[in-house]
Amino acid sequence: MNVGLKIWRYNASTGDRALREYEVDVSDEATLLDTLDAVKDRVDGSLAYRKSCRMMICGSCGMRVDGGAVLACKVRIADITAGGRVPVVSAMGNLPIVKDLVVDMDPFWAKMRAVQPYLTPRYDQALERENVVPQQQMDVIHKESLCINCGCCVSECNSMESDPDFLGPAALAKGFRFVGDPREGAVPERLDRYSAEHGLWDCTRCYFCNERCPKGVDPRDAIAKLGAEAMRHGIDSDMAAKHAKWFVVSAKTTGWLRETELVPKTQGVVKAIKEIKFAMSLLPKGKVPSPFPPHVAAEVHESRELYDLVKQQDRGGALGIVQGEKALSRIEHGHDGSGGERHPYGEGSFATPYLPGQGPEDDPNVVALLETAPSARTAVSDTAAAPLLPAVSDTADGNAGTPVSDTSGEDTKA
Amino acid sequence: MTMQVAYYKGCLASLSAKELDISTRALAPKLGYELLELESVTCCGAGDIHEAEPDYYLHLNARILAYAQDTGADTLMTVCNVCTLNLRQANHQLQIDAALRERVNDNLESVGVSRYEGTVEVKHFLWLVAGESFETLKQVAHKGLKGLKIAPFYGCQILRPSKLLGFEDPDNPDSLERIIAACGGVAVDYPAKVKCCGFPIIQAREDTALAELIQPIEQAMEAGADAMVTPCPLCHLSLDAWQSKLRKQTGKDFKMPIFHLSQLIGVAAGLADSELKFRRHVVSMQPVLDKLSV
Repeated sequence: MNVGLKIWRYNASTGDRALREYEVDVSDEATLLDTLDAVKDRVDGSLAYRKSCRMMICGSCGMRVDGGAVLACKVRIADITAGGRVPVVSAMGNLPIVKDLVVDMDPFWAKMRAVQPYLTPRYDQALERENVVPQQQMDVIHKESLCINCGCCVSECNSMESDPDFLGPAALAKGFRFVGDPREGAVPERLDRYSAEHGLWDCTRCYFCNERCPKGVDPRDAIAKLGAEAMRHGIDSDMAAKHAKWFVVSAKTTGWLRETELVPKTQGVVKAIKEIKFAMSLLPKGKVPSPFPPHVAAEVHESRELYDLVKQQDRGGALGIVQGEKALSRIEHGHDGSGGERHPYGEGSFATPYLPGQGPEDDPNVVALLETAPSARTAVSDTAAAPLLPAVSDTADGNAGTPVSDTSGEDTKA
Repeated sequence: MTMQVAYYKGCLASLSAKELDISTRALAPKLGYELLELESVTCCGAGDIHEAEPDYYLHLNARILAYAQDTGADTLMTVCNVCTLNLRQANHQLQIDAALRERVNDNLESVGVSRYEGTVEVKHFLWLVAGESFETLKQVAHKGLKGLKIAPFYGCQILRPSKLLGFEDPDNPDSLERIIAACGGVAVDYPAKVKCCGFPIIQAREDTALAELIQPIEQAMEAGADAMVTPCPLCHLSLDAWQSKLRKQTGKDFKMPIFHLSQLIGVAAGLADSELKFRRHVVSMQPVLDKLSV
């Protein structure tokens, strides 16, 4: 298959930048990375790009295709050149270019270091015996643990483009990987650190990170989980946290956003007074709607009662987001809502796995065997059914939580 | 043929962006929609309740979906990007995860709300116009836009995450361009049309937000746009009301008029001034209206 692609070349020593077009013969199955290898081998040996594993594990080959960050080893060249299209390949954004498609990852690693990407052990846990963590508690940070540090999420981050000091999606997702870890001993300190200027509240919710991540980490969701945990721990002095809390108050009291009160509730009265001139300029246009009489939804008591009910059921903080992830992950695997709870190996779905010499046609019991296996595994962790997150809800007053290894849900909540 | 859709206007169209609600209501029947009112619904929580109290967010949105279901319509029409993402995200969770739906429904039932069976689809007004009603639009937009140059601004949460939204290619959307052309305008192209307007952090991180906001306005200006159009009232508020802050910060006075999508189509469809309410905009729409009246 003959394909054409354009590559933004850059030479740091001369400062020359040029868009060059290349044509190579590659196999139908070739990835973009294979294609770059072909260009480098046969056309221009000076082309620079990073690679290592070639199988979406090492995270080296992040680059842009037509302005969007991808892993070159994940993208099939046939897909991006379909219909004779000539894709433009360039270096990732929000990072300085070293040469051609190679970016300097130092700023990326500096932010990773800033979130302290290692466990702060709770030594109290490990004194007596091995610290066993149930699978369900680790599932909370499953997505964030998938990160391969490729930088694709950072490439198009709109907040980082406007504030280069923003910690950014990769580092913050890494942060949640430790905040949500039941073995972590410094959760409030982490939340405090991540809530500082240039931290989690800088996120503008553009969702480019979720769109670009090649591994399904969904960094924006991880940032929301950090925000939820911060507020659950009472770390909510940031204006953005106050902004978020006012929405909750509004939904409980009138049902609708109490828009005009949002500014003083977010920024504080003193700063809001400084905004009065701006507000006055909007007033004649109806952009500062009067809070009186309030705009109240009918049956708003239902909304208030729901709030009380939900609070009693204790799925606060990040858990409220984690509980929906199972459903959202099914969309990626081609499940829509129509079938309800579909069997993963059901008809019209993926092929049923079977053991050597035990094809499903030979032994129908194999299907049953595979169905029972997962529940046998979960039985081991039944002791810790209730809390998916470590019992850190009371930590605002300094209690670092109950050791996870002792674990029944009732105990940790007590 | 009239199609009944449940209409979720959201907070801004009820408050500071009433012109969006008014123009949408005026336009809908022309496009063949009967809007079914939802008196009891609340705010979707924006991204804020999703972050502050995620479990409450899910219940609030389930309650909205349950009330939409009670109207008998199978479509819940939104006019705001943020409402669209919040409702679709909750809807997917409730439709796919039966155990989660059961728990939420038990809670809804105990406060007197109907159980939600997962039968409603959440669609933004833009998707209806660019999709099933596109042929009708061509007839409705009889007055045209006289070749007005319009810069489409999508905003984020109608495009990304595409697994939840999925109406069009998030990097190369064309629904607004098709609508602009069908209305007799000329769509101008510029890179920031799919980027963020800065609104979610405009109060808490004003400098960062303004650095985001200036990009689409400046690029649209350079591309020769007479005006911009957006399907999101939050983007609209940011693009329209915060231009004065950009002027103060950068010295650049763009005076860029900003249409709500329903207003742009409304102009082409010949809606009256009282149905368009341009005087509620901060940046004057007069230069555009003058061009149209020549």
